[in-house]
Amino acid sequence: MNESVRNMGEPVRSVFADDPEMVELVELFVSELPDRVRAISDAAREGRAGDLRDLAHQLKGAAGGYGFGIVSEAAAEVEAPLRSGGVDLNSVRSKVDDLVDLCSRVTADAE
Amino acid sequence: MLPSEYQDDSSPPNVLLIDDSVDVHRVLRARLRTEPLELVCVSTGAEGLERAPDLMPALILLDLSMPKMDGFEVLRRLKDAPATVNTPVIVLSGLTSTHDKVTAFDLGAMDFVTKPFEVNELKVRVRSALRLSSLVSMLSQRAQIDGLTGLWNRAHFDSRWQEFVSSATRHSRPLSLAVIDLDRFKSINDSFGHPAGDEVIQGLARLVGGTARSSDICCRFGGEEFCVILPDTGPDDAQVLCERIRTRLEEVRWPRHPERQVTCSIGIAGVTGSAAMTPQAWLEAADRNLYQAKEGGRNRIVVSDLSGPVQLADAS
Repeated sequence: MNESVRNMGEPVRSVFADDPEMVELVELFVSELPDRVRAISDAAREGRAGDLRDLAHQLKGAAGGYGFGIVSEAAAEVEAPLRSGGVDLNSVRSKVDDLVDLCSRVTADAE
Repeated sequence: MLPSEYQDDSSPPNVLLIDDSVDVHRVLRARLRTEPLELVCVSTGAEGLERAPDLMPALILLDLSMPKMDGFEVLRRLKDAPATVNTPVIVLSGLTSTHDKVTAFDLGAMDFVTKPFEVNELKVRVRSALRLSSLVSMLSQRAQIDGLTGLWNRAHFDSRWQEFVSSATRHSRPLSLAVIDLDRFKSINDSFGHPAGDEVIQGLARLVGGTARSSDICCRFGGEEFCVILPDTGPDDAQVLCERIRTRLEEVRWPRHPERQVTCSIGIAGVTGSAAMTPQAWLEAADRNLYQAKEGGRNRIVVSDLSGPVQLADAS
């Protein structure tokens, strides 16, 4: 993951933010993101590893498609350890926190 | 539909997207909006397999990692089904292992695009697949046109008839098949020569093609025998249309033999609602009716309605 963006609290922007074909979709994705993030936090807190894996997988694909590669990578880091099964959820908690923090800074605005 | 009309068909090709992610549906809709194609999106492999035979897409975009039935299994089934065996498939996947690519290509995929999509790459790959698909369909169409008459040939009939029967059966729609045969054709050839015989065959072909509607499939079955597939048409309506062909033919004055009238006999087998018959049994039923029309004195039509349980019992 890009450490500077992760750590410096800067806005996370889509590489398609000024692509006319994608602007509306990026806005839609950003508006729906809080729901996705809430579902991920809930699954992590309630210990539903399978749900967490699936939600992270979906976000990984979606974020990439809307031009938020860095969010996609963070979601992949949550998903990857859960794919093998029998994993202690505590070990991915910090990765979930990173993902949630990153998503809170996602914006549809162009630079 | 006649082959000549088919070539003029300029409606944009259907592209079927099978992907469980609504986000991918949205992104591809946006990305392919300006391309000359009609994008149809479904969310499961099962739905894709169900829609494909009716939709007849020029291209299928297929996600690999889906719950329940994964993309590999969908691909396997698409390539097992006669309707989609030749439909090009581009696999879309976040999986990028060589093994996945090899498996997808081995199963019959024509291309592989990794997610997230690089827009321009995706567009050119879709264009390239559609170009190839249109060339392949043009070639296969050329191979299915009868040289003498310009109607569809037997090969085309064989492949389409099966599709129409399964579609009508699945949706409980009316469907009829008419088999048309020139009466005493051999004597025309013997008395006036083969060029005269060819003219009669071409004349009947024009008449059949000109009388049928654009949704009907007109074929030269072989020799002096023709058949017409009449979708969404019960046997009664099929008879009305065939009666028009029969009377128009007997009214034709032939330049090479104005004194010799030419007639045809027609056998029709159709359903108004639902039928569960094999394409072969259906064709045989129409053929039997044609035979009866000949036996009954020629220049006539014999029709049967195959709908309902009685005929099902007869057919088995």
